Amino acid sequence: MTAPLLEVRDLSVTLARGGDELPVLDKVSFDIAPGEVLGVVGESGAGKSMAGVAIIDLLVPPLRRSGGTITLGGERLDLLTPRQMRRVRGKRIGFVFQDPMTSLNPVLTIGRQLTDTMRRHLPLSRNEARERAIAWLTRTGLPNPARVFAAAPHELSGGQRQRVVIALALCAEPDLVIADEPTTALDVSVQAHMLQLLRDLHEETGTAMMLITHDLGVIAKMADRVAVFYAGRLIETARTEMLIARPLHPYTAGLMQATPALDAAGVMRVKAIPGSMPGLGATPPGCAFHPRCNRSRDLCRQVTPPLADAGGHAAACHFPLRQEVA
Amino acid sequence: MSAGDVLILNEVSKAYDGRVSMLDRLFGRKAKSLQAVREVSFSIRKGEVMGLVGESGCGKSTIARIAAGLMAPTGGEIGHPGRLRQQMIFQDPFSSLNPRWRVHDIVAEPIRTHGLRPKQEVSARVAELLTQVGLSEADGAKFPQAFSGGQRQRISIARALAGEPDFLILDEPTSALDVSVQAQILDLLRDLQARLNLTSLFITHNLPVVRLMADRIGVVYLGELVELAPTSAIFEHPRHPYTRLLIDAAPDLDAEDRSLHPIPGELPDPSDPPSGCVFRTRCLFATDRCASERPKLRKIGPGEVRCHYDLDLTGRELVA
Amino acid sequence: MKSFLEALRGQPGPIAATAFILLLVLYAFTVPLFTADPFSMAGMSILDAFTPPLWMDGGQTAMPLGADDQGRNLLTAMAYGLRTSIMVGVISVVIGLVLGGALGLISGFVGGRTDALIMRLADVQLAYPALLLAMVIDAIATAVLGRGRSNEMAIAIVIVSIGIAFWVQYARTIRSSVMIERNQEYVAAARVTGRSNTAILVKHILPNVMAPVLVIATINLGIAIITEATLSFLGIGIPATYPSLGSLIRNGNAYLQSGEWWISLWPCLVLVVLVVAVNVLGDHLRDHFNPKIRGRS
Ligand SMILES: Nc1ncnc2c1ncn2[C@@H]1O[C@H](COP(=O)(O)OP(=O)(O)O)[C@@H](O)[C@H]1O
Ligand SMILES: Nc1ncnc2c1ncn2[C@@H]1O[C@H](COP(=O)(O)OP(=O)(O)O)[C@@H](O)[C@H]1O
Ligand SMILES: [Mg+2]
Ligand SMILES: [Mg+2]
Repeated sequence: MTAPLLEVRDLSVTLARGGDELPVLDKVSFDIAPGEVLGVVGESGAGKSMAGVAIIDLLVPPLRRSGGTITLGGERLDLLTPRQMRRVRGKRIGFVFQDPMTSLNPVLTIGRQLTDTMRRHLPLSRNEARERAIAWLTRTGLPNPARVFAAAPHELSGGQRQRVVIALALCAEPDLVIADEPTTALDVSVQAHMLQLLRDLHEETGTAMMLITHDLGVIAKMADRVAVFYAGRLIETARTEMLIARPLHPYTAGLMQATPALDAAGVMRVKAIPGSMPGLGATPPGCAFHPRCNRSRDLCRQVTPPLADAGGHAAACHFPLRQEVA
Repeated sequence: MSAGDVLILNEVSKAYDGRVSMLDRLFGRKAKSLQAVREVSFSIRKGEVMGLVGESGCGKSTIARIAAGLMAPTGGEIGHPGRLRQQMIFQDPFSSLNPRWRVHDIVAEPIRTHGLRPKQEVSARVAELLTQVGLSEADGAKFPQAFSGGQRQRISIARALAGEPDFLILDEPTSALDVSVQAQILDLLRDLQARLNLTSLFITHNLPVVRLMADRIGVVYLGELVELAPTSAIFEHPRHPYTRLLIDAAPDLDAEDRSLHPIPGELPDPSDPPSGCVFRTRCLFATDRCASERPKLRKIGPGEVRCHYDLDLTGRELVA
Repeated sequence: MKSFLEALRGQPGPIAATAFILLLVLYAFTVPLFTADPFSMAGMSILDAFTPPLWMDGGQTAMPLGADDQGRNLLTAMAYGLRTSIMVGVISVVIGLVLGGALGLISGFVGGRTDALIMRLADVQLAYPALLLAMVIDAIATAVLGRGRSNEMAIAIVIVSIGIAFWVQYARTIRSSVMIERNQEYVAAARVTGRSNTAILVKHILPNVMAPVLVIATINLGIAIITEATLSFLGIGIPATYPSLGSLIRNGNAYLQSGEWWISLWPCLVLVVLVVAVNVLGDHLRDHFNPKIRGRS
């Protein structure tokens, strides 16, 4: 195995509320290899976005990183000054957010935003930057790139804007792109276009990607590996094919059954997990999933299961599903 | 149009007047009207769940609002023979419940409005409904703000059931919810459907969801009904190229086959739709005829399709 | 009420303001229960005219704050005056609120021509500030009713003038809230259920648009009280023969030069304390209930 590009170890994030420090992320650890796509999945509120935001050090009070290390290409990001961190963002880590409008400056033209970003991070002349910007717009499949270059964000459709945001995240040629729900706000037909674009650009540039989504379908098509989040903890991680074919954690299995899909007989099925994810500060003792789990026993209520690795497939469960099969 | 029809839409159209600002008027710009729905016809039989699918902006909510009587169509007729009461469930769990009303009063409103129960039995009925949707009687004393999105949709469902509707309209009832919460709500709706034999119009942009819920499905593109057929026929033998592309576009859970199937091209500007067939700009089978002549909704097999050609798209790979 | 108490929690300024307001209200409404009206023959004694405050030469224990030119005990006279001022303020604010609220609801809900008409009316109204409006109404009333009119009539005119002067603000605020609320899905749900327009407007929309105008009303209460005092001071409000803070100040104004400062000073102080307290509270409530400032959770 190659050395990981990104190493996150015991990352914790807390939220200050009324004198308490509530855990938003609880000792989360994961790696991303160079060129790898890590899919991060879980229901909303599980802490997926916070993991992405903590890596690029954009947490704002009352949220703060309360522990753990983040290493990118051998460099400890958590030890950098805010000034040094600004050079990492954009240059070495690009990001794509769910709402394209939040990443675009409404008063600057698309071209200006692209050239500014590139020239901040790469030694380019104005003309070189312009040429590259148009090349990027062409690569993202936008019709009439020269017109888009001169356009303001509001002149583009939602799908076009999301393409621009993807170009903006990739144009400084970062080692890692963090994409937080890049297709959630889009319709199925536009979503498929955007996933195709992300995949093409990822294959062309070889950049690694942290793809955050709550849609297992997106994970199945895009991710090399998956990390499943639940109540601020990482509860399962494996290669995508392995995780989908044989989930170990009952929550992961439940999430898959909750996605409407055809069963073996070709009938549409859906099966809900009872209950709901605990809110901030309401995480039960032991395994956070135990109140919703039909396999839970006393041990689950008392001891928090560690993330136990078994041949590249790790799950934080005392009684993982595979035991029954074996 | 049989005697058992609960709702009949006949060539229903809806045009929205464009908004003109003072500045536009100064420059002599005319209001651009938008044809949100064009000559849509279908009927819903008693006890049936009719599904409508399509991408956002295609006119689903406009059809829902016309069916609910919230707005009048600008063309065509809508009839509801023998229909007494209707209820609607909305997409946004936050704006669909009055934040100043207690849950008990929200759920009791249809009962009181239609005088469905004697005064002294209203509370007991509300408690029964809250339990039926998986909440508790004590929840009635709280305000909607105390609940999560999924729980609010349960309250909406309880309110709708309280009206003992002959016809229920659901406009993207699970689109704002997480998959796991969506699964719970779909479970609940299916259970109620089976027990109460509701007649409903179920609207969504999610194909697996509509396949799960509906007996018959209408596919809407740019304000037009392009295909209408029983659920199994829509999925197993789609007749309209758009239906086929839409089915393939949603990523499934198969991690072995990672191919993506984007629908070619972009959605045209709805205020300036293509001539002839609205889908022709993105259709792999489009001919000159499609540009000049607007196809009619014709009967093929068990369903109807708005296409000039008899395409059999079963299992066919459409992406070039 | 609960949310009002919640708004005050841990806020010393607004809590003090509320305390001052409660004290003044208590003073204004209990003193008249035990004393004779200083503006009636029984309540004044001309022999006590210009009695200075207690700590000065010639001060009397019975009149700790002194007496005015007619020998009215200022401590009691001010309670009567304050009572009038508070009542005029509150009633005029309520009139403005009801009038503006109703017009705003209709304007926002019905829209179209009705809305345009009401809003043009509002534009015209804004050209007449309360003072000017009161003078106009006063002049019209004089023309219609003649000179010799009762105190009650004068007070009614002041109340109505101030009330009318404020309706625009309420109407505009409510109108814009209604235009947002009427498109909410809970309104559509009520429509599908079969509720009438009136029921939707009154039962569903009204409770959702009241909070911001109630806050404005608090702030306007201070302005209304000042306006009444100004009108009375100018002699076009409440007559000098009837107690109000404004007429007391006006009475004393004539004697400021000759050294009897207390006749004006005490009513002025009471007016300032009341208005500042009301404004502090109003500002706080506005900030507290304004989601833009507070941030939605
Ligand atoms: N600024 C904030 N204030 C309060 N709670 C927050 C804030 N940001 C995030 N949270 C909480 O942190 C948890 C994790 O949030 P997030 O990472 O956004 O979830 P996800 O992206 O998985 O949906 C949630 O419970 C959320 O409510
Ligand atoms: N009140 C309105 N005024 C003008 N245009 C509208 C209005 N409501 C919807 N539209 C337009 O009509 C079209 C159909 O909208 P809608 O019925 O909401 O679609 P859907 O529910 O399928 O997303 C869209 O192009 C939308 O922008
Ligand atoms: Mg998120
Ligand atoms: Mg809609």
